[in-house]
Amino acid sequence: QAKPVLLKTPIAFGSHLPALGTPIKWVSDQLPLVSGGDVKMKVYEPGKLVAPLEILDAVSSGKVNSGYSIAGYWAGKMPAAAIFSTIPFGPEAPEFMAWLYYGNGMKLYQKMYDDAGYNVHVEACALISPETSGWFKKPVNSIDDLKGLNMRFYGLGGEVMQKLGVSTSLLPGGEIFGALEKGAIDATEFSQPAIDQKLGFYKVAKHNYFPGWHQQATVFELLINKDTWNKMSDSQRAVVSTTCKASVSNSVAESEFIQFDAMKKNVEERGVVMHTWPQDMMAAFKGAWEQVLVDQKKDATFAAVYDDLQQFRDNYKVWSTRAFITRSE
Amino acid sequence: MEINEILILSMFASFILLLFTGFPVAWVLGGVGTVFAGIAYLCDIHLDTIIGIDFNSIGIVVSRIYKIMDNWILVALPMFIFMGNMLDKSGAAENLMKSFQELFGRVKGGLAITVVLIGIILAASTGIIGASVVLLAVMSLPSMLDQGYDKKVAVGTVASAGTLGILIPPSIMLVIMADQLALSVGDLFMGAVFPGLVLGALYIVYILGWGVLKPTSMPLAENIQPVTLGLWIRVLKSVLPTLLMIVAVLGSIFTGMATPTEASAVGALAAVLLAWYNGKLSFPVFKDCLHNTFNVSGYIFAIFIGATMFALVLRELGGDEYIESFLTGLPFGPYGIILFILGIIFLLGFVLDWIEITLIILPLVAPVINALELSINGYGVLDNPELVWFVMLVAVTLQTSFLTPPVGFALFYLKGVCPPGVTLGTIYKGVIPFIVLQLLGLTLLLLFPALVNWFPAMVYSP
Amino acid sequence: MNSEVTQSPVAIADLIDRGLIKLGHVVSWVYAILIVVIITQVILRRGFSSGLIAIEEMQWHLYAIGVLIGIVYAQACNAHVRVDVLHSHFSKKWQHIVEILGICILLLPFLFVIFYHGVEFVAESFRMSERSLAPAGLPLRWLIKSVIPLFTSLLILACFSRLYREIVLLKRGE
Ligand code: NA
Ligand code: NA
Repeated sequence: QAKPVLLKTPIAFGSHLPALGTPIKWVSDQLPLVSGGDVKMKVYEPGKLVAPLEILDAVSSGKVNSGYSIAGYWAGKMPAAAIFSTIPFGPEAPEFMAWLYYGNGMKLYQKMYDDAGYNVHVEACALISPETSGWFKKPVNSIDDLKGLNMRFYGLGGEVMQKLGVSTSLLPGGEIFGALEKGAIDATEFSQPAIDQKLGFYKVAKHNYFPGWHQQATVFELLINKDTWNKMSDSQRAVVSTTCKASVSNSVAESEFIQFDAMKKNVEERGVVMHTWPQDMMAAFKGAWEQVLVDQKKDATFAAVYDDLQQFRDNYKVWSTRAFITRSE
Repeated sequence: MEINEILILSMFASFILLLFTGFPVAWVLGGVGTVFAGIAYLCDIHLDTIIGIDFNSIGIVVSRIYKIMDNWILVALPMFIFMGNMLDKSGAAENLMKSFQELFGRVKGGLAITVVLIGIILAASTGIIGASVVLLAVMSLPSMLDQGYDKKVAVGTVASAGTLGILIPPSIMLVIMADQLALSVGDLFMGAVFPGLVLGALYIVYILGWGVLKPTSMPLAENIQPVTLGLWIRVLKSVLPTLLMIVAVLGSIFTGMATPTEASAVGALAAVLLAWYNGKLSFPVFKDCLHNTFNVSGYIFAIFIGATMFALVLRELGGDEYIESFLTGLPFGPYGIILFILGIIFLLGFVLDWIEITLIILPLVAPVINALELSINGYGVLDNPELVWFVMLVAVTLQTSFLTPPVGFALFYLKGVCPPGVTLGTIYKGVIPFIVLQLLGLTLLLLFPALVNWFPAMVYSP
Repeated sequence: MNSEVTQSPVAIADLIDRGLIKLGHVVSWVYAILIVVIITQVILRRGFSSGLIAIEEMQWHLYAIGVLIGIVYAQACNAHVRVDVLHSHFSKKWQHIVEILGICILLLPFLFVIFYHGVEFVAESFRMSERSLAPAGLPLRWLIKSVIPLFTSLLILACFSRLYREIVLLKRGE
């Protein structure tokens, strides 16, 4: 019989942020109930114990025994990590789950950490729906309108924008509103409508674009120090894995549920104009992404993981192109 | 009492006691954290506790230091310190003070009022207590003392006017608070405008009153000249260059040329150009400014580093939960709980800087505040009017605690740049009246939440 | 507040402190470079799109070097903030004793923790060839991270210098 385990878990997103942070709070509430007190989790808000970008190192070296983040935060250490949280024109939630759980996704995910010498066990522990494509002060009608635009944009999507002549920067969350308000930047992306409204972008940038081609779904991970994981009983491990899997469906449901309310408010009360990117713009984003991909695939692990995902997606198309009624209807 | 709780309380107690040995504040913070980590480790071995601190887990402090290093917002701090130093060397500050002094020459306390006004102007450009206090002190202390001001009045005015900077936007404190509580930075910036002006007005009224009651503490300059057209022109000529520099900073923010952080470097460059224009720029002067900036930002960041170790160990000991369970168990009504929380923040302001308090306390108390179901008017525009109002109360409370002996950060910064004759004791006595004014301002905000919430609601109404 | 060592001379300690202060004077130029870099960024934002993220990151790199090495400089200049209400009334002898005990019990253990884990921190970054999270950002993260063990080791050196000075002065009865 293993001893009861307490997971000290620093998190990368405040637990008050809907869909970004609420799922892990739900997990920490469920674990002791599901396990009858055998597994507990203490959540540390971002930066309270360790900064979001330092979570992987802290868990791997055993300074804390677990952590909650997105793999994209480790892209500076392992470029392939970006794929496991989100990539431009990547899979949406059900497709992502299919690849992770029944394709090679989770195996490759764990293998990436093992090969890189990190002493961690990984669980996918939340999954959220698409982001918006960003908030713009002026409407964007053509690729030319993007040239010379100053925009806050994160990660590989930012590389795509850069290829199209956008001057991107990576302002921290707290600086975005001020910079946008004063015009130091002309546009920003951040997250989903329900989350973006908390940062108040609608007050100063009235043009909200969809779809979020750069981030169709985002996976959040629970990292557990491998020594801690190995010491846990089969039952304790099953409690963690199963609760994380339940959290994945819980978070998809939550993030799907909370958006329309914010969007209605944006349009009806806040004077926001919602736009949909026209075909030619989407084609341009896609084209630029393919160029970015060529650079990224110079990293062997990135190439291997991406090719596996792509192979899966080609097969999945056989099903998805026939099975669903198109969304716009 | 649990062993954890004993450790938490004795950690605070040893910190306060050791401060008075005169060993540097930064190293007392860091050292007490380290020593108590060791004590907690021994407790786990010998006393059957499960705190879980060991030499490995305490290593998190390194990633916390790295987090201070890659903080893009704090880049502004050395830049504003440099601007202050250069402004001092450029002779522009002297000119400014002198001409304002002539203009306000007939008013008792005119010079002190000048300092408050300049403090409010500077506040809008820095947002960092250390930087504003230092800047204001080097600009105005010498002329106030030369004119025979009571040292206590002089330092009190500088310390309080300088701390306004953490409140009046753009304030990096408000940026971080907004980030912690998922509030809009814009709401907080606009919400801080009136509280800042109210405090500034209280200072001025007090100085005018005191000038009448006790004229010897604020003597007039010896050779007062009548206010003529010639004087106005001279005033204008001396004000113009400095005004241009302030316009460069604020203007680059408001026109969207630069973010508040970048505006700090624009200000630094403008100060260099100003010194050059006044013929005061030379290689030795420039080097001296660099060395001074290096020194001042060095000792400020030592405190950041010491405090991060202290906070880390406090958290590992369960200091957070201790405070939270204490708060939720209080038997007072809503306003009683708010006052109590403000009281705690006030006390913590003695030992921790606002970053630590913002990171530790605010997220803890925010749910408590929301649960109080106060009916604070958000005019249908603010997303979370209760929290916006409460944050402003906290901001003013923190500003007050930085002014409060024995441990007020503003007082330490001020001590760093005071002429040798001014002791910490003088500074302590000087700030007392201003602390009373702060409390008065705080009471006004408590009674009239509209002072906070009306302005952002108006600015952002669709 | 200036950078002169004003205590009575203690040969070896003076030598070390002067060396650290010289170093500080050289490193203080990062702030001049920082001004140039930020201004460049502000200008570049209007119209050019290349390398902006790298310039943003360069800013905090320079600032981090400045503030951390500045801590060493402030230590060598004996400029760190103290609560001097009681301290200034202590006898010289007790002031030396406070300093010696403080360095041994509070400061050195604190610095050792940072130094030890700082080396590990840099080694880990080096092992992963860690670079910026932004593809267009700066490479070689271990280089900037190594400022942590660097500043702590210099600070430890400054501590030993100070310790030596205090012991000599205590013995001399100054
Ligand atoms: Na995003
Ligand atoms: Na300010």
